[in-house]
Amino acid sequence: MMNEKFDKILEVDKLRKSHLNHDGANKEDLVVIDDVSFDVQEGEFVTIIGPSGCGKSTLLSIIAGLESYDSGDIVVKGHRIGPTGPDIVIIFQEESLFPWLTVEENVEFGLKQKGIPKEERKRIAREYIELVELTAFAQSRVHQLSGGMKQRVAIARGLALNPRILLMDEPFGALDARTRQILQNEVQEIHEKTKKTILFVTHDVREAVSLGDRVIVFTSRPARIKQQYIVDMQRPRDSEDPALIGIINSIMREIKEETTLDAEKSKPTENSPVRITV
Amino acid sequence: MQRNQSQQKIVQSESQSSQKKQKGRGYTTYLDVAIAIGVFLGVWQLVFDLKVYPSFLLPSPAIAFSRLLTLAENGSLGLAVGATLGRLVAGFTISVISGTIVGLLMSNFRRFGKTMSSFCLGLQSFPSIAWVPFAILIIGLNNYGLLFVMVISSVFSMMISTYNSVRNIPPIYLKVAKNMGVRRVSLLRSVMLPASMPQMVTALRQTWSFSWHALIGAEMIFGISVGLGELLYYGSEFSEMNQVIATMIVIFVIGFVADRLVFQRLEDSVRSKRGLMSQFTN
Repeated sequence: MMNEKFDKILEVDKLRKSHLNHDGANKEDLVVIDDVSFDVQEGEFVTIIGPSGCGKSTLLSIIAGLESYDSGDIVVKGHRIGPTGPDIVIIFQEESLFPWLTVEENVEFGLKQKGIPKEERKRIAREYIELVELTAFAQSRVHQLSGGMKQRVAIARGLALNPRILLMDEPFGALDARTRQILQNEVQEIHEKTKKTILFVTHDVREAVSLGDRVIVFTSRPARIKQQYIVDMQRPRDSEDPALIGIINSIMREIKEETTLDAEKSKPTENSPVRITV
Repeated sequence: MQRNQSQQKIVQSESQSSQKKQKGRGYTTYLDVAIAIGVFLGVWQLVFDLKVYPSFLLPSPAIAFSRLLTLAENGSLGLAVGATLGRLVAGFTISVISGTIVGLLMSNFRRFGKTMSSFCLGLQSFPSIAWVPFAILIIGLNNYGLLFVMVISSVFSMMISTYNSVRNIPPIYLKVAKNMGVRRVSLLRSVMLPASMPQMVTALRQTWSFSWHALIGAEMIFGISVGLGELLYYGSEFSEMNQVIATMIVIFVIGFVADRLVFQRLEDSVRSKRGLMSQFTN
């Protein structure tokens, strides 16, 4: 899938981010992301995976313009990211729809902010609600939807803005296995149809490998790039495919290695629990 | 397709059943109120019939209501209700507008908010009647004095409610808005206000009730301007229990109508849109 003829749309260069950690009396600089560099091609579907709490979500927040960073560069289509606009839209794991609006009004929200006229707005909203197969629910209130439907509306709301890049921060993490499967298929279809550039963070190895053109594996905190895998396979992918399972297994090994390394690192302090997520 | 249809059915049946429930709930509320009023009047009549108190001290419901009718006929009731409601609406409006503005400033400037919120909490529990001497001396025995007591007794509640409801907005809404490029003024109008609406409606109700309590108390002590408090005051001065009870009935009805029929309706409609339970009816 990755091909030289695609243009680079996003370049992350030597990105570094730290939090000031207030740990009782002593303040220390906690490095969350350290020297991360990678490129994303136009139309590419990149998944990012790493141990829990490694800083992958922080990375996405930074790219979305919601958090600051210490040093490095983030370049989108040749421009450094400035004040956020709807060029890069992020979709969260938590429920993020506005409960005071209907489904349609939620999808229209960003368009309204951009000052797009009402008729045009309605047309675009309808188009994306149809894309996520929720036309029957356009006038429903958010609380009447199931968890999976809410995430589909959030995806429609993001796509309606026609962003250059769609960031997804563990978007299906709070859903049950079956719904998650359905939405994974839907995201793949949407990617096929819209050719959007997608950067997708997950802690589910199987999800990362079955969705991504490329899987970036992060180390445990501070997040560094440990390994990248190119998954050059036709979609929809067969989860029983030996090549796919091969990649899944080797990523699982890498992450297990990270978590054990992490456990050894934090043994003396014993105050940071290590969760093994694979 | 099939999935969609079955989901739609579920949603439809859910919304239908919730509508039914709401209708039923409203009906029983009115019935309950009617029963409660009936029981109250019955006990009142019984105490009257048993002659626990002499009839000039405790009139029967019929006598009290006939006094109410006389007051209404000679126009003094209409005048009093008009004056009191006029002050109430004015004071309430001032409290809501200024309280909301200061509350928003408090949530915007953290240090100001922290200082003001403890200050507000102290002033909020300060008895409204205790402001009356201060108001009389500094402003005078007039409508402005009354307005001052009303506003000072209710504005802090509005401030602190606004401050808290803005602070309680789930951060995810603000993140989404920021990511979509929503800027300050627009953020306030299209995200922060609607997001805090359920709590703000409760705040309105509370501010109304604080203003109402303060006003009647202040009117009674002022005793010179036309109003329901004045009717009560003179009723008590001239041992006119009929007038006292008649006025109390009017005060009850106004409070009840405002709270149940205006504020609760508003609150229920805001909450049910978002699938939140009604706080008071169920």
